[in-house]
Amino acid sequence: MNYADNFKQMRKGMDLVQAVAEADRCLLCHDAPCSTGCPANTEPAEFIRKLRFKNITGAIRTIKENNILGGACGVLCPTHRLCEEKCSARFASEERPEGADRPIQIGAIQRFLVEHGTKIGFKVFAPPEPRPEKVAVVGSGPAGLSCAAELAKAGLSVTIFESRPEPGGVLRYGVVANRFDLDFLNRELADVRSLGVDIRCNAPIDSTGGAEKLLKDGYQAVFLGPGLWDAATLKTDASGIDGLFSSVDYLSALRDGRFDDMVRRAEGKTVVVIGGGSVAMDCIESAARIGAKDVYLIYRRSFCQMPAEPDERNEAQELGVHFLLLNQPVGYEVDADNRICGVKLVRTRLGEADDSGRRRPENIPGSEWILEADLVIEAIGNQAPMDLSQAYPNVDVDARGLIQADSETGRTSVPGIFAGGDIVRGPALVVNAVQDGKTAAKAIIAYVTNGEA
Amino acid sequence: MAGSTKNKVDLSVDFCGVTFKNPFLLSSSPVSNSAEMVAKSFEAGWGGVVFKTLNSDRLPIIHPSPRMNCIDYGSKKEMAVQNVEQISDRPLKHNLMEIQYLKMHYPDHPVIASIMGFFEDEWIYLAKIAEDNGADMLELNFSCPHMCIEGAGHKVGQAFHLIEQFTSAVKKNVSIPVIAKMTPNITDMNEPAVYAKNGGADAISAINTVRGISGVGLDDWVPRPNVFGKGAPSGTSGPAVKPIALNFISAMAKCEDLQIPLSGIGGIETWIDALEFLLLGSTTLQVTTGIMHYGYRIVEDMIEGLSDYMVERKISRVTDLVGKALPNLYETDHFELDRQGITQYDLDKCIGCGQCLIVCNDAAGQAIDWDSETRRPHLIEDKCLSCMLCSFVCPVPGLISYKEMPRDWQRRETTVMDPGLEKGLKYEPFTKEGPNECIA
Ligand SMILES: Cc1cc2nc3c(=O)[nH]c(=O)nc-3n(C[C@H](O)[C@H](O)[C@H](O)COP(=O)(O)OP(=O)(O)OC[C@H]3O[C@@H](n4cnc5c(N)ncnc54)[C@H](O)[C@@H]3O)c2cc1C
Ligand SMILES: Cc1cc2nc3c(=O)[nH]c(=O)nc-3n(C[C@H](O)[C@H](O)[C@H](O)COP(=O)(O)O)c2cc1C
Ligand code: SF4
Repeated sequence: MNYADNFKQMRKGMDLVQAVAEADRCLLCHDAPCSTGCPANTEPAEFIRKLRFKNITGAIRTIKENNILGGACGVLCPTHRLCEEKCSARFASEERPEGADRPIQIGAIQRFLVEHGTKIGFKVFAPPEPRPEKVAVVGSGPAGLSCAAELAKAGLSVTIFESRPEPGGVLRYGVVANRFDLDFLNRELADVRSLGVDIRCNAPIDSTGGAEKLLKDGYQAVFLGPGLWDAATLKTDASGIDGLFSSVDYLSALRDGRFDDMVRRAEGKTVVVIGGGSVAMDCIESAARIGAKDVYLIYRRSFCQMPAEPDERNEAQELGVHFLLLNQPVGYEVDADNRICGVKLVRTRLGEADDSGRRRPENIPGSEWILEADLVIEAIGNQAPMDLSQAYPNVDVDARGLIQADSETGRTSVPGIFAGGDIVRGPALVVNAVQDGKTAAKAIIAYVTNGEA
Repeated sequence: MAGSTKNKVDLSVDFCGVTFKNPFLLSSSPVSNSAEMVAKSFEAGWGGVVFKTLNSDRLPIIHPSPRMNCIDYGSKKEMAVQNVEQISDRPLKHNLMEIQYLKMHYPDHPVIASIMGFFEDEWIYLAKIAEDNGADMLELNFSCPHMCIEGAGHKVGQAFHLIEQFTSAVKKNVSIPVIAKMTPNITDMNEPAVYAKNGGADAISAINTVRGISGVGLDDWVPRPNVFGKGAPSGTSGPAVKPIALNFISAMAKCEDLQIPLSGIGGIETWIDALEFLLLGSTTLQVTTGIMHYGYRIVEDMIEGLSDYMVERKISRVTDLVGKALPNLYETDHFELDRQGITQYDLDKCIGCGQCLIVCNDAAGQAIDWDSETRRPHLIEDKCLSCMLCSFVCPVPGLISYKEMPRDWQRRETTVMDPGLEKGLKYEPFTKEGPNECIA
């Protein structure tokens, strides 16, 4: 089987007939609860109603005007705890009003409409009246793209500086391709570019004071959206071990020139992933799909405590991933060439609840054992690189390196510098980053117009 | 909004010299019953209103209760609605104050006063008083199919000389344009419409509701709506009546003796419905049941949908669409019967449900063989009637389509079960001469 081909494309979405049938189930609630459930104000109630009344182009417009990454969100949002959680059709009643027993598949409809828009060549955006102000955006992830698009729609001239060779942030170098593929990403990037946004790649803003200097280089305002690209590590002494990867490194490898190398390392082998969040799920699922013989997930708590979304957990299990719960890694085994050959684990049990209310795992003394492994991936969290903040030395950051920004405006402690996305919130969602970009753009427009946000 | 392609088109229309910012109007009914409601509809985007039919307070108007019943189709709600509602039960003074309010606060939204009298003086009284209080136009309601009072509503609409008489009386007494609203409860609408024109009507609106019975209670055997043990044939509206309305509108648009502007009504819910009415000759469009089902908000999608269509087609004015389908509308005797075709199946898409087989066997040409191994249909081409029934039931879009066959292609005759029966047949051919226009 050609894993590469199978792996680089996402599953097909709904077609017109399915989307119309799904929209037909919508109860068209007058108070639009689904819309209140969307962190980015994508207005699902409005686009579903538009689809229902055959105003398909209008439905596409509603999505893209409110959310420049509406396609990405339709695919990637954990809708069951966002818009769809609020859906009235979810509340089954004994009388069963029309269509009521499960939520409308809002994310799937949203994805369909965005894809349909490209298919029929529908243009949502028209050239705006150009304005003289220039804004610099650092990072081309969802936050940066959303901010840039919003500014460009208002006519401002926007330049995105991106350190990597291609734009997209986590959408390109994080999320696995069979969940969100390059074609889809490129279509949404084209929408941003069509607004006149200049995206400069291989252009890191990381010199000392570099981000603040942009304000002196002719940019009236700067938006910071560099995301979180450092991997947290287990504090085992693991430097230089061949076959030990961080999730950041492993997932990036699947989406850049190192794909074949990674397939070689995993195919027919035993892969061990450490962690219990969504990123860990992406790692185990991809390892299984590129041909690993056995994939183990190591998590020190119980199944229910895993922060990963329920559908991700279930899918991974169906793929045959072995979930090793209640096990804590304490070290690595290497061979003479410093190549990984196993993970040393200790079994845990759940003790008293911690501050978050979750029962805390405790190691069971004497229960150490070794799990053989050919490839090990640590997926225990992304964080801000420690040296990143020197690019903006006057911007307040917290102990974890997260930028302190006002949630209503994205303002930082330096006038003219705004921030949003994961670098402000810590690990969050695409749809949150989109909203941050929009919020900051609004404040930036006010700032460059009146000097205040 | 800057940087957007939304609503960049001017949808305004001129209707009998009155300008509407878009062709979408509330029709005369509960949706246009009060100034508060109409104001809300204008905020939502409606271009104008035909206010609920005024009465002169000469006779008390009391609505039967309950007032309506609805027809569902499967899980689809409100395919049609049947109502026994009368004209406005509000005091005339109140209605006139409401019209004044709307004109004061929404001067660029025309208000059309619908009126119904029972004899000439009453028609004139209502027409003048509506004009005096600010109505931009009048609509003469010749068409309510269930007024309790004899000599009114569609009884007038069915007595053509009365249409002419009342229209002409009104026209002589007002200077604002006058629309005559037609009942569909006749076979040919052109004739009464021409009577209205002869009486001086500036435009025709159609249709009012279709007389019907929406259902019968199975426990009480009372036709619906059940008004304390009694039902009555009364007005049907909504999506189910749209084909009836389109037929009357297009016939009037084509009628050479008529040639006055038309306002299309009947089952409009989406911009596509509206566009079809435009293409068949309407200049303005009126809606009731769509609003009774979904509220005023649907106009947003009519405006946006029609605008996007016009942008895509590079059409700059709504009037450039009016009547554009009429040149393609004929009577069936104009068809080229020597051109024939069949269905074609894109079996790569087939999911094997076999619904095509069932309908073709039981209602069509029995032109499908079924491969039960692969669960796929196989078309016997020369048996296909091109009725297209199979394509209607097929759940996969684009799987079954039509294709024309060469001129020399022949459809097979339906076979006779037992040719042996010919021997004993009692049969003489019919030989008399008769009209032959229908045979191409
Ligand atoms: C593996 C993985 C899977 C995920 N799956 C989902 C999911 O299914 N659904 C969901 O909603 N969310 C998901 N998330 C979270 C989501 O991707 C993030 O919340 C979102 O991408 C944050 O957007 P951002 O713009 O803040 O940062 P990023 O997407 O991280 O983008 C930041 C960009 O800035 C660039 N950059 C960094 N430093 C500099 C610099 N100094 N100069 C110039 N450029 C710089 C980076 O190269 C990057 O392109 C996932 C995250 C990961 C890691
Ligand atoms: C409940 C109800 C009351 C109506 N009352 C009036 C009326 O007072 N005057 C009138 O001209 N038409 C009246 N109509 C007819 C509508 O204006 C319209 O012609 C008809 O309903 C068809 O359009 P629709 O399918 O959009 O509802 C009424 C219709 C309904 C459903
Ligand atoms: S953006 Fe996400 S949360 Fe918002 S409506 Fe769309 S799918 Fe739901």
